[in-house]
Amino acid sequence: MEIAVASGKGGTGKTLVATCLARILAEYNPIVIDADVEEPNAGLVMPHRVIDTKPAFRPVPEVDMESCTLCGKCAELCRFNALVVLPSEVMVFTELCHSCGLCAYMCPENAINEVNHKIGDIEESDLLSGGQLITGRLLVGEVQSPPLIKAARETRRQDSEYRLVDCPPGTTCPAIESIRDSDFCLLVTEPSLFGAHDLELSIAATKLLDVRTGIIINRWQGDDADVGIIAREQDIPILERIPYSLELAKSYAKGENPLTAMPELQVILENVIKMVKERVA
Amino acid sequence: MKELLVLSGKGGTGKTSLTASFICLAEKAIACDYDVDASNLPILLKPVDPKGHEFSAGLTADLDKDICIDCGLCRDLCRFDAINSKYQISTLSCEGCGFCAEVCPVEAISMSERPSGRWFASMSDQDGKMVPLFYAELRPGEENSGKLVAQVKSSARQKALEEGYSLLISDGSPGIGCPVISSLVEANLVVIVAEPSVSGFHDLKRVRELLALRGVRSILLINKWDLNPEASEAMEKWAQECDIPCAGRLPYSSELAAAVAVGEVPVSRKELRDLILPVWENIAKTLEKQN
Repeated sequence: MEIAVASGKGGTGKTLVATCLARILAEYNPIVIDADVEEPNAGLVMPHRVIDTKPAFRPVPEVDMESCTLCGKCAELCRFNALVVLPSEVMVFTELCHSCGLCAYMCPENAINEVNHKIGDIEESDLLSGGQLITGRLLVGEVQSPPLIKAARETRRQDSEYRLVDCPPGTTCPAIESIRDSDFCLLVTEPSLFGAHDLELSIAATKLLDVRTGIIINRWQGDDADVGIIAREQDIPILERIPYSLELAKSYAKGENPLTAMPELQVILENVIKMVKERVA
Repeated sequence: MKELLVLSGKGGTGKTSLTASFICLAEKAIACDYDVDASNLPILLKPVDPKGHEFSAGLTADLDKDICIDCGLCRDLCRFDAINSKYQISTLSCEGCGFCAEVCPVEAISMSERPSGRWFASMSDQDGKMVPLFYAELRPGEENSGKLVAQVKSSARQKALEEGYSLLISDGSPGIGCPVISSLVEANLVVIVAEPSVSGFHDLKRVRELLALRGVRSILLINKWDLNPEASEAMEKWAQECDIPCAGRLPYSSELAAAVAVGEVPVSRKELRDLILPVWENIAKTLEKQN
């Protein structure tokens, strides 16, 4: 079973939930996939041993100027303006390239080869609590994160009954690439106007993806506020509420085990697992 | 014209609450929200009479099944797995490259513009001071947020030129990817709002690396410093070593959380104004010195 832990708004507690679920499921050797490749944080709060680090690439065009006749076909076809044909050369703007391969396929002189452009690393680790951690880490300055997210999610050293995806914030392509094809999506939100607004957008995204969804309200202070209204309107269940705790925030800031700072979190998240299983079955 | 951009790397560190505060404290500025995925600045600034404009990120493929001869070429060549065995095209997966349309032997595939969001020009009334506010909403599941950020930015800059504004204050997205990189264009100074946690420190370093790569100056603001005083100190020491000035530290404040929870700009409450004003003055001074 693959559970994506996501949220529209950043900093609502996605990583907290994903890593605590992994600790609770330790006996099943879960696999945690850190798909927040721009700012991967799961490894910072889960002790682990790195086993292997592999570079991840995406293909981009390289023009062989010996064969190129400067006909301009590639630049004309590229919908992303990633190629510009000048009087004596062809310039490739890697940042704009979406790696579709059209230019190389259509070049009448076969002058375009696709070469590997590094976008980041995939790090495979053993979690000291049990299970594995797969971390995608985007190269700083690289624009395209979805191919790396895809590579991280496809990395498989061994299978497990439970796969937990720690997703990037937002509701557009990186979030979509992280959530798609999951069995369940846990949306972690907070009971504020920002939280409710972004939750509504996240629900729209999981509905588009046709992924079963449930809500966890973090930093709950006795009132679901607007989050409750959105949940009712959108017909998405609120599975659990994690109470607000300054102690937890302070301990988590130091990278300590949240289940020690807030023992009731264990019960709350065990209940989440139970409810997710019922819904996926 | 100068642009002050607020970033954080990590989400939820307080970017939006502080950006809104700076906008209210600045004498005269245009406000921009570049978080086109989940735009929250309008929740605090409450735009009046927003004028919406359609935005198209690119193209999407449409396949005419009456013409299709089931040769499978499009499906084999599509790098994005956007065409399934029944020749249905997933708009969620389609990147709009047009490879399929180009190679289809019977021209069964056409490309069309796809609406992917809207951007808005509006005004916000802050105690009688009218602040122009530019923001956008990308539809869930869409791509090319960088292009929409660029659209919001150019519209705001155009307004600034036309009406003699010399300052843009912008709320950025979390992360260091496509929308953030797009928001850096022409920014004069970046305020990095960081939280003193292991994740906050890690994410701060990644933002700083990106800014160094792009040659953009920054100033550090530590929010909720008392969550972890040792980490706050370590961050300040690190900033000094990297030659990043510090705008100051703000404590964790339940008052601020309460203000934002009901949609109020924090500095509309005196206690919070007294806290944030000195930090803003430091930022404004640093910005003045930037080219």
